Amino acid sequence: MFRSVLRSAVGAGVLVAAMASASAQVLEIGMDNGPTGLDPHLITAFPSFMVVNGNIYEGLTAVDKDLKVVPGLAESWTVSSDGKTYTFKLRSGVKFHDGTDMTAEDVAATIRRVQSKDIASPLASRLSAIEGAKAVDAQTVELTLKEPSAPLLSSLATIAVVPSETETNKDILQKAPVGTGPFKFQEWQPNGFILLAKNDAYWQKDTPKLSGLKFNIVPESATRQVGLTNGQYALLPNIDAATALQLKGKPNVTLGETLDLAYTLIGMNVSKPPFDNPKVREAVNYAINRQEIVDAALFGAGVPGGPLSPALKSWALAVKDFPCYSPDPAKAQALLKEAGVAVPVAVTMNVLPRQDVKDIAQVVQEQLNKAGFKVELKNQEQGQFIQDWRNSNFDMFASINAGSPDPDEYFYRTFRTGGSTNVFKYSNAEIDQLLDQARTQQDPAARKSAYDQVQKTLACSGPVAHLTYGTLFSAMRDKLKGYEVMPNRSLVTLKNASY
Amino acid sequence: MSRILLSRLIDLIVVLFGVSIIVFLMIRLIPGDAVAIMLGANTEITPERMAELNSRVGLDKPVVEQYLIWAGSALRGDFGTSLWTGRPVSTEILNHLWPTLELTILSLLIGAVLAVPVGCWMAQTRGGAADVAMRIGAIAGLTIPSFWLGIVLILLFSAFMPSFSSLGYVPFSEDPLGNLQRMTLPSVALALPILANLSRLVRSAMLDALGQDYVRTARAKGLSERKVIYKHALRNALIPFLTSVGIMTGYLLGGAIVVEQVFAIPGLGRLILGAIAERNYPLIQATILIVTAGFVVVNFLVDFLYVIVDPRVRA
Repeated sequence: MFRSVLRSAVGAGVLVAAMASASAQVLEIGMDNGPTGLDPHLITAFPSFMVVNGNIYEGLTAVDKDLKVVPGLAESWTVSSDGKTYTFKLRSGVKFHDGTDMTAEDVAATIRRVQSKDIASPLASRLSAIEGAKAVDAQTVELTLKEPSAPLLSSLATIAVVPSETETNKDILQKAPVGTGPFKFQEWQPNGFILLAKNDAYWQKDTPKLSGLKFNIVPESATRQVGLTNGQYALLPNIDAATALQLKGKPNVTLGETLDLAYTLIGMNVSKPPFDNPKVREAVNYAINRQEIVDAALFGAGVPGGPLSPALKSWALAVKDFPCYSPDPAKAQALLKEAGVAVPVAVTMNVLPRQDVKDIAQVVQEQLNKAGFKVELKNQEQGQFIQDWRNSNFDMFASINAGSPDPDEYFYRTFRTGGSTNVFKYSNAEIDQLLDQARTQQDPAARKSAYDQVQKTLACSGPVAHLTYGTLFSAMRDKLKGYEVMPNRSLVTLKNASY
Repeated sequence: MSRILLSRLIDLIVVLFGVSIIVFLMIRLIPGDAVAIMLGANTEITPERMAELNSRVGLDKPVVEQYLIWAGSALRGDFGTSLWTGRPVSTEILNHLWPTLELTILSLLIGAVLAVPVGCWMAQTRGGAADVAMRIGAIAGLTIPSFWLGIVLILLFSAFMPSFSSLGYVPFSEDPLGNLQRMTLPSVALALPILANLSRLVRSAMLDALGQDYVRTARAKGLSERKVIYKHALRNALIPFLTSVGIMTGYLLGGAIVVEQVFAIPGLGRLILGAIAERNYPLIQATILIVTAGFVVVNFLVDFLYVIVDPRVRA
C-alpha cells in the first residue's frame, strides 16, 4: 500500500516536471539586492524599481529604449493650446491583476495618491504642476495644470497606475502589489526571491511569452556569475563593467549593453570656501581628465559626459562644446592663482561606499593633487554619507546618481535656487530664469536652446563636475531572446522576451 | 535539578535583559538615521515629510520611551512589525530561521560525527604518518575561510557537474531532494572548520585519557583496543568536546552570514545584515534577542549532557 502510494507520487512528480518543462518558462533572474518594498509610489531603491516598474505596474505614458515618450495605459492624448489641460484617452480592456477594470477613476485616484501628504510619496514633486485630475468618463482623464509643464508626459511614465481603493492605504501595496502590467505578483520570500506570474489578461495580445519572472536575490557577485554560466540563472540585469568583462566570451552567455543614464559626479559645496569661488570650481574641471577615469576605473566601458547623459540624444551637448573638458593642469593652477586661494587647496572628499565610486574617487584625487589641490578622501558608511549629503555637510563628494529621461527632472531640483536636492546651495539667477522658462516652454526648439545654455554654464562652473557615463551591461543566456537593456535600468522589455 | 533549572532560567532572563538594552542603544549609535537611509540619495523629500515618516515609525520619541514601549510589547510576545515591509517581525524571523537551523544541524552532523573517529584515529596513530597528515589537514581546515571554500566548491561543481544546482534555497517540505542538494555544499563548507577544530580537540583529550591508569587497567584486563578507546577513554574525552559543540551551535544559530551570502541562502545571518544596513530597528532587536536566547539555551542543554556523560557532575 505504502509502496504503491509512493510509486504513484513519484510518477505524478515526474509528470508534473515534464509538463513544466514543456510549457513556457519562468525566467530565473539573478540580482544583488532585494527590494525593500513594492509600493510603486513609495519605493526608492534600484532593486525595487527593477521588479515593479513595467513588470507589475504601468504608467499613462511609457518611454522606449531611446527614452522617447510613447503611449502607455493612455493610447492617446491632447494638450490644450495654453498647455494647461491634458486629456488622456485610456486603452480599453485593461484589467488590474485582481480582475477589476482599470478606469479613469483609478488614474485620478493615482494622481491624488502620489500628491497626498499622508502617503508622502517621494515622486510627489514630479507631479507638482498638476492642480487637479478628474475622470471625464470611464475612458477619459483630464489633468489641469497650474502652469504649462514640458516634462509632464515623461514624468507620467514613472507614475504607476494603481487601483482607486488603495488611494489612502500606505501598507497594502508594499506587500501585495496590484497593477496592470504583464506580470502579476505571486510570492515574496525576503532575502530569497520574488516570483511574478504571467498576467493572462494582459491588454497586449500574446504578451508576455514567459510564464513568469523569478528574481533571485544573490548578494555575492561570484555566485551570480557562476549561476549564469551554469544556466541556473538566465539573466543578470544591469551589471557593472568589471562583472561584464569577466563574463564576456563564456559559452552560452551574451552581453547586452547600452549607455547608462546614471552618471558619476563630484559635488562641491558652494556655500563655503574654497568652492564658493566659481574659478576654483572651474579649476577642478580643468584638473580632471575624464578619459583617464573611464580607462582606469571603468575598464574603458563608458564615456566622459557633461550635465546630461549622451544617452539623451535629443538634449545632450557633446563634451567638445565644453572648453574645461580638455584636461589642463597648468590652466587649473593658473585659475587657482586668479582666485586668490592658498595653494595647495586642502579639501575633504566624502566617498559613497560603492566600488566604482571609490575607484573613481582615487583617480580624481590624484588628478586634483597634481593641479594644486590637496584632497583627502573620506570613505563613509552609506547612512553617514547620505546624512552628510542631505545636510550639506561636505566640501566635496564623489557619488553616482540615477539620471532622468527629461532634463527638467534633474536640473530643476538640483540646480534651481532652493531646489529639493540642491544640497550644494547653488544659486545662479541666470540658471534659475532659464530653468523656469524651459519648464513651461511648449516650443521644443526654444526649450532645447534654453537647456543648451544651462549645460554650458553648469559644465565648467556649476556645483557639480560631471565625470562619466558608464556602459550599462546585462548578461544573459543565449537562449533569451527579445530582451533589451534600457538606459534607465527598466526591465520592461521582458514582456517581449522568450526563453 | 530544579534548582539548577531555576538558576539557569534566571541567567537567561538577566542575559536577555542586558542584551536587549545594549542592542537597543548600540544600533541607535550607528550614524545615519533610518528614514534618511530608506529615502536614499535620489529623493526629493522635504524635512516635514521626514519628520512625518519618523513619527510614523515611532522614532521621534525619546530613546528611553522607545525602549519601554518596545520591551512592553516584546514581553507580551509582540516584537512589532518590520519598519519597511510592514510584516510582523516574528514572521520574518521564522521564515529565516529554518534555513539557518537546517544549515546548523547538517554542518554540525557532518563535522561532529566525523570528528570523533578522526580524532580517535589521530590519537591512536600518534606521531605516525596518518596523524601528521591529518594534523596538517586540520590546520588547513581551520585556516581556510568558509566563504572561500564555498566559492571554490561552487566553481568546481559548476565546471564538472553543471546539472547540480547548488544556489539558493527551497524548503524541504516543497522539494526534499532539491533542498538537500542545495544544502550539501554550504554544509560541507561550514563543516570543514568544525571538523578540523573538533578532531584536534578529540585527539588531545584522547591522548590525555589514554595515559590514565584506568586505561592501562582496561588494557590489562585484556579488552580489545576498540573497546578501550570507544568505551573507556572516549567517554572521558567527551566533556571538552561537548562544550565546543555547544559554543559552535550557538554561533551557527546566529547565521553563518558569509556562507549564506555566497550560497544565496535566506537565513538569519542575512536577515540581521540586511536589517542593520537599512536600520530596521525592531527587526535587529528581535533577531539578536532570539539568537542570544538560542545561544543560552544551547549551552544550558550542553550542561545537561555533561550530567549524562559524566556521573561525577550529578553529585
